[in-house]
Amino acid sequence: MRQKGGTLDESRLRDLLSSELEPRGAHPRFGGNGTRTSDAIVVEALAKRYANGVEAVRGISFRVETGEVYGILGPNGAGKSTTIGMLGTLVRPTAGRATVAGFDVAAGAKDLRRNIGFAMQEAGVDELATGAEFLVLQGRLYGLSRREAARRARLLLGLVGLDAAANQRIGEYSGGMKRRVDLASALIHLPPVLFLDEPTEGLDPRARVAIWETLQRLNAALQMTVVLTTHYMEEADRLCGRIGIIDRGRIISEGTPAELKASVGGQTLSLRYAHDSGPDALARVRNSLLQRSEVHAVVASDGDLSVDVEDAATVAPELLRFLERKGAAPQALSIKQPTLEDVYLRSTGKSFEEEAVRAHHDTNGRESR
Amino acid sequence: MKGASPTWLLTRRTLTQFPRNPIVVGFAVPPVLMMFVVFGTLFASVRHLPGFPTDNYYEYLAPAAVLMTTIPGIANSAVGLATDFQSRYLYKLLTTPASIGAIMLGRLLADSARLFITGGVVLLLALALGGQIATGFAGALLMLLIATLFAMVTFGVLTANLAIKTKDPAAVQAVFPMAFLLVFLTTAYQTQDQVESGLLRAIMDANPTEYVLRAMRDLMLTGYDWDAIGLAFLVILGLGLIGIPLTIRNYRSVYR
Repeated sequence: MRQKGGTLDESRLRDLLSSELEPRGAHPRFGGNGTRTSDAIVVEALAKRYANGVEAVRGISFRVETGEVYGILGPNGAGKSTTIGMLGTLVRPTAGRATVAGFDVAAGAKDLRRNIGFAMQEAGVDELATGAEFLVLQGRLYGLSRREAARRARLLLGLVGLDAAANQRIGEYSGGMKRRVDLASALIHLPPVLFLDEPTEGLDPRARVAIWETLQRLNAALQMTVVLTTHYMEEADRLCGRIGIIDRGRIISEGTPAELKASVGGQTLSLRYAHDSGPDALARVRNSLLQRSEVHAVVASDGDLSVDVEDAATVAPELLRFLERKGAAPQALSIKQPTLEDVYLRSTGKSFEEEAVRAHHDTNGRESR
Repeated sequence: MKGASPTWLLTRRTLTQFPRNPIVVGFAVPPVLMMFVVFGTLFASVRHLPGFPTDNYYEYLAPAAVLMTTIPGIANSAVGLATDFQSRYLYKLLTTPASIGAIMLGRLLADSARLFITGGVVLLLALALGGQIATGFAGALLMLLIATLFAMVTFGVLTANLAIKTKDPAAVQAVFPMAFLLVFLTTAYQTQDQVESGLLRAIMDANPTEYVLRAMRDLMLTGYDWDAIGLAFLVILGLGLIGIPLTIRNYRSVYR
């Protein structure tokens, strides 16, 4: 049983680790285990403005319940890493407040750090150390005895599939192995709260799935509170109990993946047009479609039109005939169930990629000035 | 042992990793030892000049060679710091209960131990080449202490700040030659009377390294000159009072 702001019940967790973290009970989506007793994380109007004037986070608020997995989903440059950095005490907030495991991120940073594990966007690992040495040192920095740190290091390395590489220097590890040893190091002290900043960024699909499976297995066993940032929809959908979608430093939608997708409503017909179709032509098609009663909304993005309808299979033939009559038949048509990307598209009117490009240009512009 | 101090844990980490770092192993000590032997042989005839304080040129050269080991040697500490920035391991440490002071001190203590040992190797070589230390073992330790502290407050401070600002090991390595300038512009190889250039003599007088070197040379050749030793520590204290707060302030800026 975890205690707010305190330490973990060591004997229970030791038992879990002794049984090599076998999952306990069915856990289709971690976080929804019914053991929530309080908010592990409370964020109120948290903001960060960097010295160069960039307002990375603009007064965000959210709560994460104990044992929940909360995802911060957004395109690159949306403020995800700054947010998780503030919660992990690496970035100083300029306004607002936040508590993690009962400790204030500013005033109680030292105590807070004892209660969190943090796996970085680019694995923060000691490349001259072996995997085992790295984990043992991490454990000892959290006050574990040498023996206990070594025991947990062995178990965790096995859990993340690195037992064979335990005595190999981390500098010789692949990117995926570094991520996994970083994840293991964030767990060595069995923290009540785990922060994962883009845990699978830059990994190949196989390594990504391996990390997902490890995370699911760990959460099933330890039921710790997890906050992860990602720009991968599938990752958020698969791992998170609740998601906050962040755009330009603000949370624009929040809920379970099912709630968020339901908020888009119905289904989406995706119409693909030729690359040389200009924005004016697409706007004319969009306006035509919006005049039809069965069409709820139309969003143009990257030369595509996303058309929200109630029952796509039924209305698609009629809509196609309508577009042909208008001389605006698409090159291709597909039916999509709503995705988290659709939620973002609906809320902001742009895709993740478009926003990431804009944020990149903004940042470069500021740096060159 | 449970609850070992983070400073000690991080000191041990750095000590354990010295042999794994080719820069530390390959470039810090052998070149200085080689230079000590080569320069000691090339310039040995200087000892015959009137007023030269010793018959054994290696004795004269040894304190400068110790400084040649400690000053560039401390820069390896900054290279390690920049590497930790680059690998983002430093940020990982910042999310642990280890304080920023413990992180800094852990590395510094390990590097001090390394500099003591490498400086000691130079003194042992001087003894092997027929030299003597007038103040014995205690004086040798004091020499190593002065050389290590001076390296920390000069090149250590400079390169640590460079590492914090650039987070780039290559940028730190680029200033290594400056370390040799600090020692070359002193009476490292010959007495001040033997230097013809008035400008060079003036530069020697203005170079704080000279005052540290004089104290160390007295310990090597004559005995305890407490005025010279006091002056050396005063130089170290003065430079430390400027450099250390600056370094701490810059280090705190890693929290963005």
